[in-house]
Amino acid sequence: MLDAFSRAVVSADSKNAAIGGNELAALRAYVAEGNKRLDAVNAISSNASCIVSDAVTGMICENTGLIQAGGNCYPNRRMAACLRDGEIVLRYISYALLAGDSSVLDDRCLNGLKETYIALGVPLQSAARAVAIMKASSTAHINETNTSGTNPDETRFRKMETIKGDCSALVAEAASYFDRVASALA
Amino acid sequence: MKSVVTTVVTAADAAGRFPSQNDLEAVQGNIQRATARLEAAEKLALGMDAVVKEAGDACFKKYPYLKQAGEAGSNQTKVDKCYRDLGHYMRLINYCLVVGGTGPLDEWGIAGAREVYRTLNLPTAAYVEALTYTRDRACSPRDMSPQALNELKSYLDYAINSLS
Repeated sequence: MLDAFSRAVVSADSKNAAIGGNELAALRAYVAEGNKRLDAVNAISSNASCIVSDAVTGMICENTGLIQAGGNCYPNRRMAACLRDGEIVLRYISYALLAGDSSVLDDRCLNGLKETYIALGVPLQSAARAVAIMKASSTAHINETNTSGTNPDETRFRKMETIKGDCSALVAEAASYFDRVASALA
Repeated sequence: MKSVVTTVVTAADAAGRFPSQNDLEAVQGNIQRATARLEAAEKLALGMDAVVKEAGDACFKKYPYLKQAGEAGSNQTKVDKCYRDLGHYMRLINYCLVVGGTGPLDEWGIAGAREVYRTLNLPTAAYVEALTYTRDRACSPRDMSPQALNELKSYLDYAINSLS
């Protein structure tokens, strides 16, 4: 497993060169934005169960066949497995975001995931849809752009304490990890 | 590759939990020290050639017998390899400063070094002298800020201890 720093080291080692100038500038940016990165990770991990259950619910709302007899989220045992997998994927994305590098996500989560799902008969399209919803809600949480949606009486809607748009640079990075999951399942 | 972030993530993964407040605090502590580390890495990279040359010169000055026939530096090819090895150590220390941990030195420098030096009949004392010279030669504020120097010297000491 690598992080942003050890990624730079591994690539410099293959060139047999010390790390100076240009490579250090990218790492200095990681350091300068460090607190924002921690806020972004916190935004995901603090809202994890909400993000996951919302994504799985949304996936089922769009395709109710999943919870009818014979569907892949029926009975409860398989629904629970689905929620568990959603949380696992989100957890590895939070690790990747903390490390600033996708290797932990690739090695420990995505490697062989598609083959496993095919073998178990899990519909890849549905899984990818749940990941896409998790992406939308996670990036909204990080950027503080989440809204109460169409229901004005929604009281469980929650905002983090950071400034809106403060972590916008990390939204793109987080989104790229979700896209990585989606393309691994495609 | 071992660093603060990978250690934290490995522990969180083993427990199957999201990064906790404690984990984030640990990473935040690492980030706070990072400025000094990166400064030391940058200055070391800039002065790399001179540092390696001075370190090698110091070791052949203290142990002139190394250049006698049958010793580790008996011809120019062997002497060049000595300077090259010192360059490797400095480069690994540069990497350690970037990562903020001893991972690169451990994995690429120290693991197996003792066995290799014994097999090739190389004196570790010469490397120790070269690295010690570098450590004592570096000073602040001429070379870098005190905090950066502190980080650099701690990795030089780590390499010295592994060889002695």
